[in-house]
Amino acid sequence: MASTGGGAPGTYTPTPTKKTQRSSFFSDSDVDWLRPDGRGFHQCRPAFFRTGAVNSAAGSAYAEFGNTKVIVSVFGPRESKKAMVYSDVGRLNCNVSCTTFATPVRGLGSDNKEFSSMLHKALEGDLPVVISCASLALADAGIMMYDLVAGVSVSCLGRNLIIDPILEEENFQDGSLMITCMPSRYEVTQLSITGEWSTAKLNEAMQLCLDACSKLDKIMRACLKEAASASLD
Amino acid sequence: MGVPDASGDLSSEMEVDAFRHLFPLRYFERHLSESIRPDARPLGRARDTTLALGAVASAHGSALAKIGSTTMLAAIKMEVMIPSTESPDEGCIAIDFHMPPICSPIVRPGRPAEAAPVISKQLSDTISSSGMINLKELSLVSGKAAWMAYLDIYCLDADGALFDAALLSAVAAFSHLQIPIVSLNDDGKIVLVSEEDEGAKLEKEPVNKEKRKLKLSSIPFSLTCILHKNYILADPTAEEESIMETLVTVVLDSSARLVSFYKPGGSFLANTSAVQDCVALTRQRVKELQEILDEAISGMEID
Repeated sequence: MASTGGGAPGTYTPTPTKKTQRSSFFSDSDVDWLRPDGRGFHQCRPAFFRTGAVNSAAGSAYAEFGNTKVIVSVFGPRESKKAMVYSDVGRLNCNVSCTTFATPVRGLGSDNKEFSSMLHKALEGDLPVVISCASLALADAGIMMYDLVAGVSVSCLGRNLIIDPILEEENFQDGSLMITCMPSRYEVTQLSITGEWSTAKLNEAMQLCLDACSKLDKIMRACLKEAASASLD
Repeated sequence: MGVPDASGDLSSEMEVDAFRHLFPLRYFERHLSESIRPDARPLGRARDTTLALGAVASAHGSALAKIGSTTMLAAIKMEVMIPSTESPDEGCIAIDFHMPPICSPIVRPGRPAEAAPVISKQLSDTISSSGMINLKELSLVSGKAAWMAYLDIYCLDADGALFDAALLSAVAAFSHLQIPIVSLNDDGKIVLVSEEDEGAKLEKEPVNKEKRKLKLSSIPFSLTCILHKNYILADPTAEEESIMETLVTVVLDSSARLVSFYKPGGSFLANTSAVQDCVALTRQRVKELQEILDEAISGMEID
């Protein structure tokens, strides 16, 4: 058996003869272009959440945003091997991995440590989904939290801001912004910005993200309520 | 901790849940003597099984299989390779089984699961020895180009009978597989023929005329059983596997021929009648699984 292509002869993914040019959609001057999946610029992908995806976990959640699918499991609590003396704070260990078939070109298999920067790159678009799903899984595990955390990203393409971009759109972006926040407390937990932004655009993008976060929060809460009322019956 | 003999007397007084955790073996044996299992199954029955094809949009073929809570996601990506000189007109299949830390509390991040490479090898052996796939069908240009099918199976929830669920998802992914249309360009490289080009006149003939499916002959299916004393438990859960350690996995193909028989040790020896019973249970199970697979495929065709 060839383990993840290592010993196998070099393989490649056949690509189309013609390269997709940026001009077909996403041209700077043109404001009428359509997004590849037909959404409006300020329209998020339909979000679906469900808790209790993994039976053996203390808490788990499944999230589906268009074609992006995420499962988060929470295990524990476990005894910390590193703690030498008594400590009154716990630790949250996070681990993210991506299937080899998640990207158009087959992924890097189990050696993703070496390629963690690439993995990070590949995950960029999905990170807000992962974060939202993780907060739901923690809630499902019954861990006390200040609030749920919802994450949304915005891409800047020329003069346009598009919310919740897909991979294809991110490949053409000039800049991106991701906000994760606790909507009920109206607190931003994380904000990351890359690329070139004007102050006005940045403000607009942040507002756009925060609005979307509070909408996402409603969907997540509805999912938790549904699960809780189902378990009562 | 009390002596094991004390458990018999305690069972009447102790709470069921406490008894289950303190004396798991006794707890199970009490059930088995009544010919029932704690999840209300008879001994020989497998858990509810579902199959969904085409779960991964970015793959050429994919399937999600569930046996009880055990969940497997299999996806196939097709890439082009130069075939080896020994077999110039054959493609290749690379199978990898993954157990990410989300699937079970036993698997910790950074420490790969011990079971994963074992199941990986078992899957490759089973799929190649069953002769389900004719590797010649994966050839594109003899000696120059052939398909390499990367089959990756991810365990999303590990609750026993991992091999059975993995094999089911694997064969389902192969039956869902659509081989893309490609042609050979001037540089001798295989390129994808996109949907728009299909109608237009091509300067080069496509190497394979149309999107096609692999012809699968004699599909292998499996059933794992636990041998414990005189009992045979089909399709064990993770809890059952952790308590009673003698496992037997039988693989039969769709015409009920034996593909493989796997018994990795354990404290109980399999006598002839136990082996025959396991095979008989598997024969039953193969019929069920074949129906489930057929149903999933016909469900896809309607869409």
